[in-house]
Amino acid sequence: MAAGLSTKRLMKELSDINTKGTPPGISLHSADSMQDWIFLISVLGEETVYRGETFALRMKFGNRYPIEVPEVTFLANPEYQPPVHPHVYSNGHICASILGNEWSPVLNAVAICITMQSMLASNKKKERPEGNDRYVRTAPSNPKLTRWHYDDDVSLIETETLFEVEVEQ
Amino acid sequence: MDMSSHPLLAVIDESPPFPDKYPQLKRLDRSVVCQVCKEPFTAPVSISCGHSFCSQCIRSSLDVSKKCPSCNENCSEGSIRRNRALEEITDAWDESRPTLIELTRPAPTSTSLRKRPAPEPNSKASSSSGPYKRVKTNGSGSGSQSRSVSPSKPMSKDGSNGHARDHEEDEEEEEDEDEIQELTENDEAPCPLCQATMPISSIPLHIEKGCPPPKSTKKVNGAAGKGNQKSDWKKVFSGQGLGSGKGKEVEMKRITKPNYALATPAELRATLADYSLPTAGDKPTLTSRLQEWIILFNANLDTSHPSSLSALRAKLAESESSRKRDKEKGKDEMINQLGTKEGMEKYAKEKKGEFERLKKEIMERDKRRETEGSGTGKENAIEVD
Repeated sequence: MAAGLSTKRLMKELSDINTKGTPPGISLHSADSMQDWIFLISVLGEETVYRGETFALRMKFGNRYPIEVPEVTFLANPEYQPPVHPHVYSNGHICASILGNEWSPVLNAVAICITMQSMLASNKKKERPEGNDRYVRTAPSNPKLTRWHYDDDVSLIETETLFEVEVEQ
Repeated sequence: MDMSSHPLLAVIDESPPFPDKYPQLKRLDRSVVCQVCKEPFTAPVSISCGHSFCSQCIRSSLDVSKKCPSCNENCSEGSIRRNRALEEITDAWDESRPTLIELTRPAPTSTSLRKRPAPEPNSKASSSSGPYKRVKTNGSGSGSQSRSVSPSKPMSKDGSNGHARDHEEDEEEEEDEDEIQELTENDEAPCPLCQATMPISSIPLHIEKGCPPPKSTKKVNGAAGKGNQKSDWKKVFSGQGLGSGKGKEVEMKRITKPNYALATPAELRATLADYSLPTAGDKPTLTSRLQEWIILFNANLDTSHPSSLSALRAKLAESESSRKRDKEKGKDEMINQLGTKEGMEKYAKEKKGEFERLKKEIMERDKRRETEGSGTGKENAIEVD
């Protein structure tokens, strides 16, 4: 079997999830192919604004994974809605530096889930990012084509969501 | 989701992990794993911050972002150094792992598995790969290369003792027993005085001569060295590297990266041709092919069990074709989606917003044009040649 670096690595992650399981609040919903995985994420605890809600996080892995970051969005369909969060657009696109210039090949799919979970957990106010409508109207289907600006370098999570849409082709 | 019967897991051939009651062995097992590919190190190298990765992994990663993947410290490819100690540890661990796995088994389930309870000091350590030996599949051709120095290895440093080598290899076959962990005369070791690496057998002579630097193919083209600076520089800038003459054998020397932005397709093709690689395709194709080749080739120089060049070429061809497959698969999915009625509806639904927006924009523009157009007329009209 022609297992490139990405396939091998993803198989390893899958078998790790299989044997060791996922952290609480995170579960693998589907991994029908090596390229497209969906995780279900919910925030545990009482004081969260997302109590009782479950979100679906979709990851698309390219064949340059893990060197290049996967394409990560929250699903926006009748079944699942993206969380209302200052860094998550209503089309499911996420502004988080870990999915952009802070990505590192030592991270993995579960690490992305944990980051997203803690991003939601630390949020106190349910609101959409500034300029949501404008972004959603013009956004490319692949969030990686958006040039994000991360104003706050201190935390991976508290990134400011100024963006500039750069549509390629 | 239940994954015990996951189709994607059926193909994985994982070596069994250590039982939970041996955390120290688990830790050891983790410590020889590259953090990028999560596999045991292949050709381990260290970078300036002290973290180690497979040569190929860190080179690929630095091509994308000049930072250490583990600690985010700035790092350039120039700081990559071969980590021989780590390579030795990884090899040794790979070799002893099956034995240790056997030893940690709670009860002997089958007697056939316990033929070798412990390695005796004099027996040949399990060099034949046991059932659970973790070996990175290096693509075709490379698997057959054994731990001891194989003849196909580029032995540029010891051209002088070729005869002695043949003789030693004969000996080696006879006294297989002594070969175990000890270094054979064929292995390389640093000179105790100057630390230059060379085959053990040539060290005495080397010391006797007063530690001359080991001969390498790196030398500048002999007599032409001085007067030829201009053409040498030209070669460097065209990405060929010094001394890579035409028709000669490929030099086992790190490839200098060309400036991909400035290089012309012809120059890229010339470099690819130097290494007998396919030269078809447009500039992006050539660039990515050469980039990948340089990573493979340079990483191959960081190990004491290098693959043959033809194995590297096969690897490159394979990854290129799999990438192509992936691309075409995406296209097919799109076509399939549009082929069914549901898919079409879904596509229409998804794109409806965009369609509406474009429609609105066009209508607004037309309106604007109508009001302005009555005045000047020509400026806003679409120009046709």
